[in-house]
Amino acid sequence: MRCVRSRRQRRAPTRDSSSVAVTEEQRQENPLAVGLPLSRRPEPCAMVIFGASGDLTKRKLFPALYSLALRELLPEHFAVVGVARTEESDDAFRERMKAAVQEFGRDEFRDDVWERLAGGIRYVTADFMDTETFFSRAEKVLTALDKERGIPGNRVCYFAVPPDVIESIVEGIGTRPSKGGWTRVIVEKPFGHDLASAIELNDILHKYFDESQIYRIDHYLGKETVQNMLALRFANGIFEPLWNRLIIDHVQITVAESIGIEARAGYYEKAGAIRDIFQNHLLQLVALTAMEPPIDFTSDSVRNEKVKVLKSLSTPGPRDVVRGQYGRGYVEGEEVPGYREEPGVDPNSMTETYVAAKLFVDNWRWAGTPFYVRTGKRLARRETTVAIEFKRAPHPPFEELAAEGLQPNVLLINIQPDEGVSLAIGAKVPGQGLQIRTVHMDFLYGGAFRTDMPEAYERLLLDCMRGDSTLFTREDEVVEQWQLVDAVVAAWQRDRPSFPNYAAGTWGPPTAEDLLQKDGRAWRRH
Amino acid sequence: MAQTLTSVSEIERKLAALRLDDERGGARQRTSVMTHIAWVPEEWVEAAEDVLTGLADRHPSRTIVLFPQSGDGGLEGEVDVESFGRGAGRTVCTDTIRITLHGTSAAHPASVVEPLLIPDLPVFLRWRGLPPFGDSAFEELAGTVDRLIVDSTEGPGLPAPYAEFAEVFDRVAVSDIAWARTSRWRSMLASLWPQIASVKKIKVTGTLAQAHLLAGWLRSRLERQIELEHEQAEKLVGVELDGDPAPFPPGDPPRPADLLSDELDTLDRDPVYEGAVRSAVT
Repeated sequence: MRCVRSRRQRRAPTRDSSSVAVTEEQRQENPLAVGLPLSRRPEPCAMVIFGASGDLTKRKLFPALYSLALRELLPEHFAVVGVARTEESDDAFRERMKAAVQEFGRDEFRDDVWERLAGGIRYVTADFMDTETFFSRAEKVLTALDKERGIPGNRVCYFAVPPDVIESIVEGIGTRPSKGGWTRVIVEKPFGHDLASAIELNDILHKYFDESQIYRIDHYLGKETVQNMLALRFANGIFEPLWNRLIIDHVQITVAESIGIEARAGYYEKAGAIRDIFQNHLLQLVALTAMEPPIDFTSDSVRNEKVKVLKSLSTPGPRDVVRGQYGRGYVEGEEVPGYREEPGVDPNSMTETYVAAKLFVDNWRWAGTPFYVRTGKRLARRETTVAIEFKRAPHPPFEELAAEGLQPNVLLINIQPDEGVSLAIGAKVPGQGLQIRTVHMDFLYGGAFRTDMPEAYERLLLDCMRGDSTLFTREDEVVEQWQLVDAVVAAWQRDRPSFPNYAAGTWGPPTAEDLLQKDGRAWRRH
Repeated sequence: MAQTLTSVSEIERKLAALRLDDERGGARQRTSVMTHIAWVPEEWVEAAEDVLTGLADRHPSRTIVLFPQSGDGGLEGEVDVESFGRGAGRTVCTDTIRITLHGTSAAHPASVVEPLLIPDLPVFLRWRGLPPFGDSAFEELAGTVDRLIVDSTEGPGLPAPYAEFAEVFDRVAVSDIAWARTSRWRSMLASLWPQIASVKKIKVTGTLAQAHLLAGWLRSRLERQIELEHEQAEKLVGVELDGDPAPFPPGDPPRPADLLSDELDTLDRDPVYEGAVRSAVT
């Protein structure tokens, strides 16, 4: 009996001290609650968005909040306080956010839903450096909201601000803890710009919050298709036995964007592709692909396994990393400027807009199996895929085939667009003889489920309100990711590639092809 | 009339919407075979439409027809989804995208086509007319696709262009419909072995392309010089070896759509064809 009980305890999701566990408990105690759907509504709370005048708030956060409100997934008692430097009234902010929801939302706009949400929206103008004035003002607004809307002091603080102002905000929140409720903080990427700054940022946060209160967001993890990778691997018996160095030849992970840097020159010049995508999204995809089965789906179990993968990634040597920068080229039939010609970019900039690398996960499962990863801006198409290429059939007995006629099997996980999974298999072409052609067994999200896929931010905001940090990056993951990136960047200091080295609208620099060619492999082309 | 779309992302959205917009509720199942791109300069528009009809239900999962035109830039696209019954309530669909390219986008078509390719499926390019070797549009598309399909009958000035064809073999696998049309005759000529080994001169009554390809084929396979005499005809109707007429091959000549379709079954390079082309020029 003891054994059974301890196992059940372990399976209960680990949440911070005061969480939605009440409903679970109610269900256990109340015989009438058995069989009724468990409410996914979080406890009453107020969300404070720091940096509310920015693009993220407009394009992602408010559309996500609206979609959650429409599906009645927000807490029954809920409020949002936008905080930013720009002078704005409550009403003006509400109007702007309403327009944003109408423009960027994925759902039809309903006035009644919006009015309910808008009733709890406030705006506070803030100079983040003058914490005293600002926090006393914010405190007043929040206390009034708590009282008005029946919120017991619970707070979700969303930091959509540049890293340099986070410290003063954290100080402000930390020294004025909310009375009676929990506080959780969500930190947007970039989480630091190297290992030292990431550790510093962690230290600042840890001064007032423990790890269970900190939610480092990597919105890729909120994507349905990324989570489906876990379902695919661990809900199916047939893939896992194949998921190793004996059966898999190599893995290719592509995060390709066709857009340029838009208006983000200031940020991108400092970050480059390696900090913008590689450090977070790409390494997370590697971790999810390579991780061992977790014992359960609680946040620590999943993240423990991911960290193990990140720890076992060996630092690629300089010959196993390729960087690139786009020059002029054509996208969708129109000429687009090179990176160095983009507004706000140094005409001699050495910032990379493309990174490809050959990585090895040095553990029992993956030893010797390369993970080729690449990411870039202004590539030929927008695509995020994980392709698992299996070893070739050892001895094809078909006479009519030239060696290249029979392609290896590939399990392709499309994260975007065309979300789904497809397995390439060789099939006989109908007719006389035995000609083999590669065909695809497809599972397409759009085709299998009629339900729309929620946006990543909807899932992540809700998870944070519910106290579930499974899909957020833990401190040690961030540290591991930066360690790898720092080592790669350090090696870059030694040479100066001749940028630009690929034309916009192509698949990156030719040297990236060599990376695979010298191993007798090739990037997937389309 | 299909709606006119003016950007690649609009075309992508339309395709996604069409696949789900099914009266029966479920999403349509797309055939999963290939993307077929056709490059159709103005003078070839009519002939191209003829061949495309009837092709869809045999092969491609997506057909992208490009109509290059002069002008400043920009594009106009139309999207059709065609469904085919496959017995017992099963329907599969194929997409046809027609895009008119103006100016810059006609000069750089790969950037338009690339986002529209179905991931991981082979891509075939049917180029109408003689490809302008070295031209940006051709070079870009040839670099994007797995197989280039031409009909060298459509090219003026033969056999000189064959030298340029030979240049692209290492970059992209090539199929030639003119070559496919000689297939029945090649089988017949092969059946004349070993007498044919000593042939010195071949006379071909057919298109100029067929004449040069057959002569090139014999030269490359027999590894020696063979003289060619050509008599113009719409199609291949006769071959003489050292003055003696060869027997007429049995069966009917294949239809144009079948010829194209057969070429789409082939993925590898065809070394015999490549040899014939190289020897056609000498």
